[in-house]
Amino acid sequence: MLQKQTTSTRFFRTKLTKALALVAGIIVLYIVTALTLGYDLTSFGAISQGFAWLFHYFMPTGNVLQFLGAIVTQIFRTFLIAVCATTVASVFAIILALVGAKNAGLIPVIGIFIKGLASFLRNIPLAAWALILVFSFKQNELTGFLALFFMSLGFLTRAFIETIEDYGTDTIKALEATGATYPQIVCQAILPALAVPLCEWVLYMIENNIRDAVLVGLITGSGIGFLFDLYFKSLRYNAAGLVVLGVVVLVIAWEILSIQLKKRIEHHAKD
Amino acid sequence: MLTVKNLTKTYNGAKRSLEMVSFTVRPGEMTAIIGPSGAGKTTILRSINQLIPDDSGEIFLDDQDIRQLNKQGLRRVRHRIGMIFQNYNLVDQLTAIENVLHGRLGAKLALAGMLSLYSREEKQEALDLLAEMGLADFAYKRCSDLSGGQKQRVGIARALMQHPKIILCDEPIASLDPKSTTLVMDILKKLTTTQDISILINLHQVDIAKAYADHIVGINQGLVVFDADAAALSNEAIQEIYA
Repeated sequence: MLQKQTTSTRFFRTKLTKALALVAGIIVLYIVTALTLGYDLTSFGAISQGFAWLFHYFMPTGNVLQFLGAIVTQIFRTFLIAVCATTVASVFAIILALVGAKNAGLIPVIGIFIKGLASFLRNIPLAAWALILVFSFKQNELTGFLALFFMSLGFLTRAFIETIEDYGTDTIKALEATGATYPQIVCQAILPALAVPLCEWVLYMIENNIRDAVLVGLITGSGIGFLFDLYFKSLRYNAAGLVVLGVVVLVIAWEILSIQLKKRIEHHAKD
Repeated sequence: MLTVKNLTKTYNGAKRSLEMVSFTVRPGEMTAIIGPSGAGKTTILRSINQLIPDDSGEIFLDDQDIRQLNKQGLRRVRHRIGMIFQNYNLVDQLTAIENVLHGRLGAKLALAGMLSLYSREEKQEALDLLAEMGLADFAYKRCSDLSGGQKQRVGIARALMQHPKIILCDEPIASLDPKSTTLVMDILKKLTTTQDISILINLHQVDIAKAYADHIVGINQGLVVFDADAAALSNEAIQEIYA
């Protein structure tokens, strides 16, 4: 009995020590990096002043409504580009994923190639994509579309492959045993079984792309990003503030819509 | 009707999984494969329709060596071999009737199968099979809402939809309660007597094998150690199989 108690005491004491060591490690990391960079550790105090400045200048006040028409038009176009790039990317991504997933049992070399390609596309930062594409396609909406497309293609291919591989081989083998071909198995088992998670990935990607489309527009000189850049550089801060507000409204509106869509999809799948 | 000759398989060249396995399944009979876990029962079953590749041997269905077929030929032969599984392996998100109709995929044009273009006769046959399985009221229920025993009967209906000569059963009752076990085994037994379908079944339970099977093959560590009529399965033979 005594033996058992000391064992359990030691066990929980070791766990506590490990947790404390982790917290201490994070604090040490912060202090070391901050000191190396020469940050004044008291500079947090200035943050509130910074925000006060921000609110003062970026508050959409005064004659800002004259810009509203242009801003709404550009926000809507940006939204359309995000949706368009995501939907096209998801069509290509599902084809690549169905070929590349391990449980598909197709040629393994092609699977490795597709996974490598997807990781490559995804791991180039979006800003880098935009900058590279601006060189070849100049400043226009197509450039923004392509940047979002390549990024989404990489991300969705990886996500779809993981979703399909999680499905396992049981049902696939069962349909193979009936003499079904792989395209038949895709349409009769994989897609019906995974429709809900696959659609949820697409909704998530659209949400991400709406946010990213602003950044891409900034770099490629199109859409709402360009408008923000223009107002900002011409010192019309209140108009730039209205752009930010408009983007926030769009993102929140899409989030609410996408939650509703997800509920509908899941509900429908249960009936 | 089904003859397996000298079937051999190794996993990664290490341990021998099957060694010179030979046996025959006669028409209209239920043949049970029994043996301890890991003896190679599932490997034998999945080699027969080539869901997993083997190393050497011959597998004759009637006069055709399944191992020599090309992709198209294998697809045709698989269509005549039904298969049911311990975990049923249905598409849970689809309804019972859709799962039963999957039994027709091997006989359909690729595109027709992809788009679920089944004929009126095929749909009627699927409904009739479900009614035969006592599932007439469940045809349009999603399979995820069915019980284990009901799912396995959908699995049997899917296999019968293939108009099979033989049905392979991979531990079909291992996840079922005693009542469903009896129900499923009675259905399988009836198929051999009334429809002349051969059944090759992997079983854990010796008593069920003795009660239902006509013929028993005992496997231990990839070797056939018993191969005779069920009546000849003595206690000594059981001890040897599970040694």
